[in-house]
Amino acid sequence: MIAMVDCNSFYASCEQVFRPDLWGKPVVVLSNNDGCVIAANKEAKQLTHIPMFEAVYKIKHILEKNKVTFFSSNYTLYGEMSQRVMNILGTFSPNVEVYSIDEAFLDVDGMAHLDLRAYGFRIKEKIFRYTGLPVGVGIAPTKVLAKLANRLAKKQEGHDQVYIMDTEEKRLAALQWAKIGDIWGIGRNHVRRLNAIGIYKAIDFVKLPLAWVRKEMTVVGERLWRELRGEPCLEFTTVPKPKKAIGTAKSFGQKLPDLERIEEACAYYISEVAEVLRAQKSCATYVQVFIVTNYHSKVDKQYSKSKTVKMPIPTNDTFALISEARKALHHIYKPGYRYKKVGVNLTGIIPQEYVQGNLFQQLPETSKKELIRTFDRLNIKFGKSSVASGMIGTRIEEWELIKRERSPRYTTQWRELLKIGRSG
Amino acid sequence: MDSPTYGKIQQTSDRHAPEVSKQTGFPSAATHYMEMPIDLHKELAIHKDATFYIRVDGDQWKQHRIFHNDVLIVDRSLQSRFGDLGLVVQDGEFKAMRIGFGEEEEYVLWGIITYIIHYAR
Ligand SMILES: [Mg+2]
Repeated sequence: MIAMVDCNSFYASCEQVFRPDLWGKPVVVLSNNDGCVIAANKEAKQLTHIPMFEAVYKIKHILEKNKVTFFSSNYTLYGEMSQRVMNILGTFSPNVEVYSIDEAFLDVDGMAHLDLRAYGFRIKEKIFRYTGLPVGVGIAPTKVLAKLANRLAKKQEGHDQVYIMDTEEKRLAALQWAKIGDIWGIGRNHVRRLNAIGIYKAIDFVKLPLAWVRKEMTVVGERLWRELRGEPCLEFTTVPKPKKAIGTAKSFGQKLPDLERIEEACAYYISEVAEVLRAQKSCATYVQVFIVTNYHSKVDKQYSKSKTVKMPIPTNDTFALISEARKALHHIYKPGYRYKKVGVNLTGIIPQEYVQGNLFQQLPETSKKELIRTFDRLNIKFGKSSVASGMIGTRIEEWELIKRERSPRYTTQWRELLKIGRSG
Repeated sequence: MDSPTYGKIQQTSDRHAPEVSKQTGFPSAATHYMEMPIDLHKELAIHKDATFYIRVDGDQWKQHRIFHNDVLIVDRSLQSRFGDLGLVVQDGEFKAMRIGFGEEEEYVLWGIITYIIHYAR
């Protein structure tokens, strides 16, 4: 059996742990630069007129009228809280597959002697007691079914956030309950195709002939079909896959049309992603840069363009990446537009030990490597981007997310600890 | 991710061998006695996944010897015992209180205060 543990409204819950004044109240979390609503808790979702992924300035009046508290995303906090949850899950099973920041699969095969329902409740209660975060637990014979069991645990009344799909009757009942789009891995296109031939429920999908599924939905669809029938097909991967691409793109706080400022922002993002690259001990082969105008605007001229360049040798050196990205940016930049967003993507990610210097290009000399390492250490110690390459300039605040509504980094910064008492 | 286009060369890893005397080839006598320096987080945050540091503003809890600017170490994993100093939530606000006294008031226990860090200078 496999357990799927998923935190409830994770981002909003992380904020609420430290804000008891907001317990039971609507909370939403906005994307970087307060662009869009990316997470909402149960209370906020009940106000059905809060559209997800909507630009916040369009719905600010709704949020204010309904006394919804909103936060800019605080990924430092969410990441640290996530780490706690995953550590605790490690005490329940030797095999934990971290699937996302707030979800993990647990191999529960050795636990057959246990009362699985009691086991599920122990997971839920321990995580809540240790971290203050609410979770749902679904346990079923396959990953896809465990994901579905988790959905039942949360959406159906009376399960108290824990659902064990341990009989054939329960499996069939769940498939009868679930719409095809509720199934993990079935995307919008497949939902449309399946609806077109009269398939709406998961139960109808598993009754389709395998040959049809294989032909229309490839081997991916076949695996889902088998998993839903209780046959495990998706392997358990406890080692996180190295990222194939690392990128970041953020909107400017205000529209910034001139090249110099875009350059600075671009350099800053590169320094962010290069840090991730070095932390996972890998190098990037390509760097892609893109710029976009404000597509929400009805009056401005629109333009967007991207360019990918190959690095002379795969690298994680901030300075080398910045210099190539800058050339790419000069290539695509056209004056006269009001740019809203610049982004960078590093692709062709390979392990650092695979990198070979070529005849014309020396590997970065040790002293430079030392410098970069120090740079990362300082950033960890003092918080992100306190130290940055010279090109980044001093106007970081402008693009470094609008942090006004960002909560303190309660668990990683001594100067930002939760404060209680007179002020609290 | 494997990438056949790049020949694999192993970088020499940082040397972490114990110090060996260049003259004699014997490890220094101190090597066997090396230990990690004291790490307060390890000592004071017993259940690290359940421990939070929280700063106090004001002297309203001085009867519990909690003073302005102190940092509380709060362990959420502990079951409360009579007489524990608890960090509780009442009417949406944090409060420090002795568990077992004044029980008529309703509260939610947030965690147990295990240490109070006070700057003495
Ligand atoms: Mg979740």
